[in-house]
Parts: sequence; structure tokens; C-alpha cells
Amino acid sequence: MKLGRSHRQPTALFCVAGLIWVGAVLQTPPRPRPSAPPARAPTYVADVLPLFKKYCLDCHEGSDAAAGLNLGKIKTQADATARLESLETALRRVQRGEMPPKGLPKPSAAETVRFAGWVKAADDATRKAADPGRVTLRRLNRVEYDNTIRDLLGLDLKLSQDFPSDDVGEGFDNIGDVLSISPLLMEKYLDAAEKVATQAIRVVDRAPRRVEGSEMKGPSSGSNINGTAMGLYAAGTATADVTLIESGDYRLRIFARGDQAGSDPVKMSVAIDGKSLGTLDVRETRATAFEIPVSLSAGKRRISVSFLNDYYQPDQPQGRRDRNLYVHNIELQFVGTTMDATLPPSHRRVIPRDVAPAAAKDEARRNLEAFASRAYRRPVRLEEVDRLMKLYEVGERIGGFELGMRVAVQGVLSSPSFLFRTELDHGTVGVRPLTDFEVASRLSYFLWSSMPDDRLFDLAKKGSLRRPEVLKAEIQRMVADGKTTAFAHNFAGQWLQLKKLEIVEPDATQYPGIDARLKADMAEETERFFLHILRENRPVSELLTAKYTFLNGRLAKHYGIAGVEGLEFRRVELTGERAGLLSQASVLLVTSNPTRTSPTKRGKWVLENVLGTPPPPPPPGVAQIAEEKQKLEGATLRQLLEQHRKNPECASCHQRMDPIGYGLENFDVVGRWRTQDAGRPVEAYGTLPDGTKFNGPTELRKILVGQRDQITRALAERMLVYGLGRGLIPGDRVAVDRIVQQTKANDYRLSAMVLAVATSEPFLKRNALPVPKETRKP
Amino acid sequence: MNPIDRRTFLRGAGTLLALPTLERMLPLTALATSAPASPVRMAFLFVPNGVDMAHWTPAQAGALELPSILEPLRDVRESINVLTGLAQQNAFAKGDGPGDHARSTACWLTGVHPRKTAGADIRNGISADQVAAQRIGNQTKFASLELGCERSGLAGDCDSGYSCAYSSNVSWKSETTPVAKEVNPRLVFERLFGNGKEGEQQEALARRQLFRMSVLDFISDDAAALRKELGGRDRQKLDEYFTAVREIEQRLVKFENQSKLAALANATKPAGVPTDYGEHIRLMMDMLILAFQTDLTRISTVMFANEGSNRSYAHIGVPEGHHDISHHGKNADKIAKKRRIDRFHVEQLAYALKKMQSIQEPNGTLLDNCMIVYGGGISDGDRHNHDDLPILMAGRAGGRLKGGLHRVYQPHTPMNNLFLSMLDRVGVPVETLGDSTGKLQGLF
Repeated sequence: MKLGRSHRQPTALFCVAGLIWVGAVLQTPPRPRPSAPPARAPTYVADVLPLFKKYCLDCHEGSDAAAGLNLGKIKTQADATARLESLETALRRVQRGEMPPKGLPKPSAAETVRFAGWVKAADDATRKAADPGRVTLRRLNRVEYDNTIRDLLGLDLKLSQDFPSDDVGEGFDNIGDVLSISPLLMEKYLDAAEKVATQAIRVVDRAPRRVEGSEMKGPSSGSNINGTAMGLYAAGTATADVTLIESGDYRLRIFARGDQAGSDPVKMSVAIDGKSLGTLDVRETRATAFEIPVSLSAGKRRISVSFLNDYYQPDQPQGRRDRNLYVHNIELQFVGTTMDATLPPSHRRVIPRDVAPAAAKDEARRNLEAFASRAYRRPVRLEEVDRLMKLYEVGERIGGFELGMRVAVQGVLSSPSFLFRTELDHGTVGVRPLTDFEVASRLSYFLWSSMPDDRLFDLAKKGSLRRPEVLKAEIQRMVADGKTTAFAHNFAGQWLQLKKLEIVEPDATQYPGIDARLKADMAEETERFFLHILRENRPVSELLTAKYTFLNGRLAKHYGIAGVEGLEFRRVELTGERAGLLSQASVLLVTSNPTRTSPTKRGKWVLENVLGTPPPPPPPGVAQIAEEKQKLEGATLRQLLEQHRKNPECASCHQRMDPIGYGLENFDVVGRWRTQDAGRPVEAYGTLPDGTKFNGPTELRKILVGQRDQITRALAERMLVYGLGRGLIPGDRVAVDRIVQQTKANDYRLSAMVLAVATSEPFLKRNALPVPKETRKP
Repeated sequence: MNPIDRRTFLRGAGTLLALPTLERMLPLTALATSAPASPVRMAFLFVPNGVDMAHWTPAQAGALELPSILEPLRDVRESINVLTGLAQQNAFAKGDGPGDHARSTACWLTGVHPRKTAGADIRNGISADQVAAQRIGNQTKFASLELGCERSGLAGDCDSGYSCAYSSNVSWKSETTPVAKEVNPRLVFERLFGNGKEGEQQEALARRQLFRMSVLDFISDDAAALRKELGGRDRQKLDEYFTAVREIEQRLVKFENQSKLAALANATKPAGVPTDYGEHIRLMMDMLILAFQTDLTRISTVMFANEGSNRSYAHIGVPEGHHDISHHGKNADKIAKKRRIDRFHVEQLAYALKKMQSIQEPNGTLLDNCMIVYGGGISDGDRHNHDDLPILMAGRAGGRLKGGLHRVYQPHTPMNNLFLSMLDRVGVPVETLGDSTGKLQGLF
């Protein structure tokens, strides 16, 4: 089909303009006040559908429904309840008179009241049926994988750099439904498990080092190779070089024999690296083993064997006239460790103590039980350990205890119980509280993007983690922990779309010097700022109003702020019109085009991320602003945007987005302050849809901060999505309400919101489904 | 030299040990006694944000005259068919509102209307390449190879309420599972040819292999036990895990280490992702060619960029983002810039096709034995329409396809009809796929 907009009725154009799901821009809508509710319980079919049919479906129906809102699809009470949120927004717009659009018949007051009555009833019903929902089995995402390996074994390997990207859903990369496993990723997991296990566990090299006599270096005269032996016919020294990987106790074994003559036996002295180990009598004429215990450190060692007492009397009878020494071979065999300090700490995390060979198997089982329980973040089961022991034995047979442990660790790190965060219902159906271990993981991945630490595990083992006072104390402890930088990076970074900094490329001729380092600094500024608000118990609104930020020398120079030197970030007090997130280069840059600022994108960003009322994207076929026109006609960007808004198709959204962006026009593409744009003074004034006027960023911020409850709610919803790893469902309404209330009751502190999210019903419970009977492998 | 002679030659040369790998160096079938033609390979190369159709579509049906965007293909013109009139109707909104970028990517090879969701309950169809991979993928070490130049979405919404899984993946293994792509050419190389350490001893390799197999056994048992306790979408996720483990297991059992192949194909390992975008695309194409040449796979997809990509093309004089510029509003300067991007992509395609043409196989050139579909799921980036798609097919499909033609089909002909014909050509007859209505007439 052709998107033949031109063939459509002009009214349809108006409807596109009336993109319904945009909520109040800057105003919390009044709650519906039904003056005369109908006596019976309102139903969608009786109270709402007729209104839609009469006033709305002309535009909002079918495959090209205006703003993508197809009300025609909503036919029953159940359909309507499932889309309650859209209908609430629709009601708001009807109540405000924005819909139906100008010039079209509007519902009567009575009709609107019935609509409102149904919305309220549906809302009440939803709240009654609060449901903690059900998070789909979550695979560790790339960040979580790296952090978990780091905390499990103390190895910061960042292997996930080679993994394929995690898909993003609901704005975050930790959404269970969207995190899938492809063969490619599985290969990476298997390779990574092998790498981690190899690096984590030192396998003791028990292979003997053996040097044949024929490979030894003899003295320049008086020696020759006799078969495979080194023959010494005059006093002299033969040497053998070996390379040892292990430091520790060895058994040196020398196979030697002598031609006996005279009264003394053949005397042989042995030294390693010039240090004598003693002198031995070689009485045998057949090769015999001489063993000497010795402690050696790893590296290249030189073993010397000397023949001390040469004897030659040609007048003696044959067989008694010549004394010689033959060294057949030399062997060094590792027999045990004495230098514990050489073991990497990761080794000790899996194998806490040395093992006597006889007890190796029991020790392996104990170690694996403890290790797998940490890796799986729950007590491991007997049969799981049994399976791990089979794996241990595969390695043990080939290379002993350590190799066995290494293979088993490789198995643990490849197991679904490690790669997924499992929440097992064990036959329970319906709402159940999460176990202490499950709660520990939810907390740790929420705030640290990693596994629980020992303290959380201990509390889970004791069964006390879920006690409210313990839980609260633990959350506070976790927030204060350094690992919370992961929360700033992953939550705030995605909420504020900072990760897009990696891909934005401002035009290098206009904005030189914006390199990867500076962009990383920009992201760090915002993350540190967010973390500060959280840790210092500052209110949510300070995200917008703070007259301070965190800068290093490079970034301060970028902003033109003097007196900050070096690469260390520090708190910097701000002067002038700069304050909060909306004056930070990170946010300003990700909302700009490469060659110019975009008031529209900035406005959209604020609506989406700060106010939680995202506008829909432009319908296809709508011309964007033409810069060339600007050049030709000398029009400013603002004039062009105003032109654009004359088109009713565009106005409804742009009147919400653009003015907010105007308020930030004093910040250029890369976030620097400016008073001139292309030779003209910057115009940073605007009028919001409700008629409120402002001039400049400070006045804009003041208006925004006035919407404290709305900002709080928007942030709470994002944080709950991130914390749960799933999109919100109607059953979450009560939980969101409570989070907002609790935050409000605590002076809107960000820390209170984190606490409220982490103690909310959906965070601590789950609605278990029955498990299908069928048990065959797929 | 006929294949039998080659085998005799190899034995005579005392390289018997190397034979198993050498055999796969050649197209497998070349060594069979009956020696049919070289296997036909298929690839799907994706470009985002539509194309300036005025300079893509040849003026006349019939003998192929190359418009300016396709002009870089002049040296391989005789192996090109431009297919006009194809559509992916299921990429249109159908009441789901905005989100054409996400929809058209998900729909491009499936012909299925993806379910609109930001996360929960992702649902699409199985893509044509994966239909083939599931049926004939077991003949090669890798059932299929998914490549790209951009990682999946970084943050925020990828497109109007659609999960980034839709706009970053053209290849779908099942209705719910996209197939992740590799974007680093070095990692592709290591995946294809192994990452064996230089001089790693046979014994150490064998030991690693043994451990890997034991671990696979172990995790299969672990997963089977876990699966009994899971329901709903949890179980679905674990099934993804299972499927992946199975595929790797089979690969290990059936195919040996391939590290020698790379040397035989005269290739060196790329260092990583180059900063130059053109070089990046060319390297990914090199990897694809290498994989085809060594018959490690016969099925592949390559996304030059993700749909909706707003990459800057400053190196060819387009500093604005690709997506921004694709909304040209009929502005001549913007259209010209969009055209420059389109042509740039085709230049990279031309590089790859010429290289494929230079590689001789027992039965014609590598290009002769391929079916390479190139194009996108959006026609005009400004209008977001999904009919009149920019689609061309390179290669002779094993000598069965006449090239150098502009073939014009009825408007709105399902693109899936093309897939049906292609699947048939590689020995995977399928009755219907997505919204197909039958094979594409007159192609083979």
C-alpha cells in the first residue's frame, strides 16, 4: 500500500495530530470526579464503547489508526482492562478538551463522566488484584557475568567483551524475556568457563623432568656418549638443564653405574646450581637409582654430576684397571608443595587448603559443594554435587586433584544454574515470598550487578535476611558499598541513555576534540552525580537543581570552568545558569544532532526520562526540519520549528517537546554554554501547552521541579523495571503507588526510593505458575 | 583435475592425515563419487533506513542497466538480478502504530508480523536462513553464520515500544529467539578456525576436547534436571539453552579442528574491529567468503548496520546521522547524501562479489555457486514503506540462474516467495513460509 496520507480526510490529519497517549506535559491530571456515578457497576461495553464509536473511531481504528492507537481493537471489558493505561491517558485528554481535536464534535459532560466512572472502577479493581508478577528466568547479562566472575573468584577478566550484545527491552539490558541464548553465546560461555577455570586454579605440574645421559653436556675431554649414557672417563662434570614450573619439593633421581677399579668405589658428587647435595658411592656395575630429596624453586635449574676419583692402572688385570662413571639419566619429580604463597587467591577460593592424596576425593566434594553453592547463589543439591564429582574424576584421572577441580569448575561456570538466576517454585502455585537466597540475589544484582557477598549469603543461610529491619540495614549497607557504582552505571546509564554516548559522533569540524575519553568523562560526571544524590540522601529533585557537579580537569576545561586540574573527579560548585542533569554534557550531547542542537530531541528526552510521558515518534512521511531552507531563507531553527508546528499533524507533540528544548538552547551540541548561535543571540524562552511562559534554563527547571510527584513516579517506574528485570504490569500499580508514597514521606530522597523498590511486593514475592507435567528433554 | 584425481594425489603425496580437513576445504560434494555440482550457498545482506529508490531501480525491465547507486557492480553485472516489486506486507503497522524500523528488520526474512512488545513475550517467525539451517545446516560445521557491524541496541527504546531484539536481528531461530550476531572479525575468525595456541600439542588439544565434551554432558544433565522444575517462559528460556548446547555438541562430534583450513584458504587472522567502517564491512565479508570457501557453512546473514542506525558517514562527506538523513523530506540535498550512503554500501558489496568471482571452485566460481540477497526491509526511508523493496540477488545459484537482468514483479509480491524459491534450490522444499503465496515465478 501507499501511505497515501493525501487521500485521507482532513479530519484524519487532525487525529494524527491528537496523538493520544501523551500524558500531561507538566501537570498532574486531576483525578476523575464522577458527579453522578451510575448505580450499577460501570462496564466498558455499556459506558465507554458507545462514546468511542460516536467520537473517536473515525480516526482511531484500523491498520492506519491515528497515533497507532487502535481503539477499534478494544472490544470487551477484558481488552479494555489490559489497556487501562492508554485509556486513562485518553480520558485525560478528553477531560482537558484536547480530544477530539478542534472542530469536531465533543462528548457531553455526562458521557465523559461515564467514561471516567469506568476508568476509576477499572483502576480500583486492578489495585485490589495486586499481583507481584513473575520474572522470567534471567540470564546474566554481560556486565553481570563479568562482575559475578570477579566476585566469585577474584578474577577481573572482563571476558564478556567478546560476547554478543545483550538485547535491550523496556529500556534496559537486564530484562529476562529479552535475554536469550544463541549457539554463538553458548560457545562464548564455554570458552569463558575454560579460560576462567584455567586461570583460577593452578594445576600442579607433576610431569617428571628427565634428561637422558646422551642429552647431557660432558667435559670437553675424558667423556663420551656410551649408548644412551654419559660416560665420564676422567675426573670431570656433566650437566643437565631442566625447567621447572612448580616451586616445591622434588625427588632427584640419578641412574648411574660405574666401572670399578682400585680399592675405592666410584665417587659421584651432585650439585644443583653449584650448590652441592653431597657425594655418593656408585658401587654397582649395573645402572642403579640414586635418590635425593631436594627443595627447588621454579625456573631453569642446572644439575651437575661430577666424577671425583678417576683411576687408571694399565698393569692391573682386565676389569680392574680402569674406574669410570656412567650417568644414564637424571629425573626430577615433583612430590609436593612447600611454597603456598605462589598460589593465586582464586585457587584458594575454590581449594581453601592443601590436600593429602588419600583424602583428595572427600576434599574435592567438600570444595565443590561450597563453590557451587556460591556460584549458583543457593545451597547446591546432593545430586548436583554427584554430577560435579563425575566431572572431577575426568580431570583427576589425567592430571590429579587440581586438574579434576579445574574441570569441575569449568562445569559449574557452564551450568544453567550459574548462567541463569533461577527462582524455583518447588511445586508452589500462586503468590509466594521469595526465599532468603533469592532475595539476596535480587538485591545484589539490583544494586551491584553482581552476586551476593558473604554477608548476604550468611544472612540467607540463617534465614534472617527477609526480616524487615535486617533487610533495611542490608540495603543501606549495600548502597554505601563501592560496588554500587554498577547501579549508577547500569541503571542511571540506561535510564538517562548515557550509553548512547558511545555511538554519538558530533561533527568533528564544528566540535573538534570530542573523543572517546571525553565522552567517557561525560558519562562519569553524570554517574558520579547520580551516586552522590543516592548516597548523600539527597532528594530526587536535586537531580535537576543541584548547583554542583563532579568534574575532572579535562571535562572542566571542556565546560570552561577554571581551577580543576588532573584526571581525578571531584565535586565542583556551579555558578550561573548551570545546574543538575539538564546542564550536563552527557545529556545534552545524546540529545543533539551531529551538526546542531535539537530542541525537539531534548524536549522529548525530558518528557520521556524525567516526566515519564514519552511522545510517540513522528508519523512516517513527515518532513523534518530542512537546514538548507534555513540557509536559503535565513530563518532560525526556532522559526522553522514554529513553521513545523503550524502543521496540525505535528503541533500536538511538538508544542510539548520544543519549548522544553528551547529552554536548553544556551547549551550547544556538546554542552558548552553559549549566548550566540550562528551569529544570533540565543532565544531560550518558551511557552508550555498550558500557557506557562519561561525564559532560560533556570526558569524551565523551576517549572519542572514543580512536578515533583510526577518526576518521582516516573523514576520509580523505571527503577522498578530495572530492579525486577521485567516490564510493569497492571498488578504493579499498588507497588508503584507505595514506592512513591514512601519516597515522598522521606522528603523525596533517592535513597528512600531505592529502599522502597527493594522492599516492594513484586521485588520480594513471585506469582508461581504450575509446572507442566511433561518432563522429556526438548 | 577431477575430484577423484585430487584424492589420489593427496594420498600419493603422503598427506593422508590431513585428508579429513582437506576434504572439507573443497566443497564436500566434490569428493563424492557421483560428484554433483558444488553446493549452493545462500547469504542475506541487510542495509537499514531504505534506499533512494529513484537511483536504485533500473529504468527498464530486462537487460540490466545499472543506475548510479548500483553502478559499482559493473564488473559483476552478469551475475546480478535486480528484483523489483517485492514487499514485506507484514512489516506495515497493521494497527500497531509506529515502529517500522523494528518491524521491517524482524519481518525481513520471516514475512511475519512481529508482536509489538518492549520486552515480555517476544514473538516473530522463523527466518528463511534458519529454516535452511535447521534442515541442511548439519552438513557443515556451522549450521549458519550471523554477522554484523553494529552491536545490538545500547539503551533506551530502539523503536517505538519494540524491543531492540527486533531491530538488531534479521535471523530468527524460533518465534521467540533471535540469533545473535558477531561483530568482531577477529572473533569470527577464531570461531571458524579455532583459537588453538601456536604449537599447542596434540595431546593438550585432545585433553581440552575431552573436557569440553564432558562439560557438555554435565550441563545437559544439569539442564534436564532444572527443566523439570520450570514452567512457562522460564522453560522456554532453558530450551534456548538446550538447543544451543545440542548444536555445539553435534559440531564437536561431527567435525574436527579446522585450524589448518585457514592456512589453506590463504587467510590471516584480523586484528579486531577496524575504525574505518568500510574496512569493517569488507573484513566481515572476507570472513563470510572464507567460511563459504572452506565450506564451514553454507548459510549466512550480514547486517551492514542495525535498522534505524544513526551512524555518521563523515568519511564520505555525510556527517549527519544515517537515520536523520533518511528522513529527507524530499529535500534534494538530503536525498543526495542518502544516495551517497547507499552507494557506499553497494561499493562494499561490489568488493565482496568481485572477490567471490575470483575464487575458482570445481564447478565455476564461488559467486556462481551462491545466492546472495542484498537489500533492506524499508523502501523509502522517509516514508517507511515496505513494498517496492530494494532487493537484488547476486550469484548464479549453481549455474541455474541467469544474471544481468532487471526482473520486475507485480507490485506487492511477497518477498517470501523469493525465499521459497531459494530454499527449494538448496534442497529444502517448503510449502509456505510467512506470507508466501508460492515460488517466485520464472527465477529458476
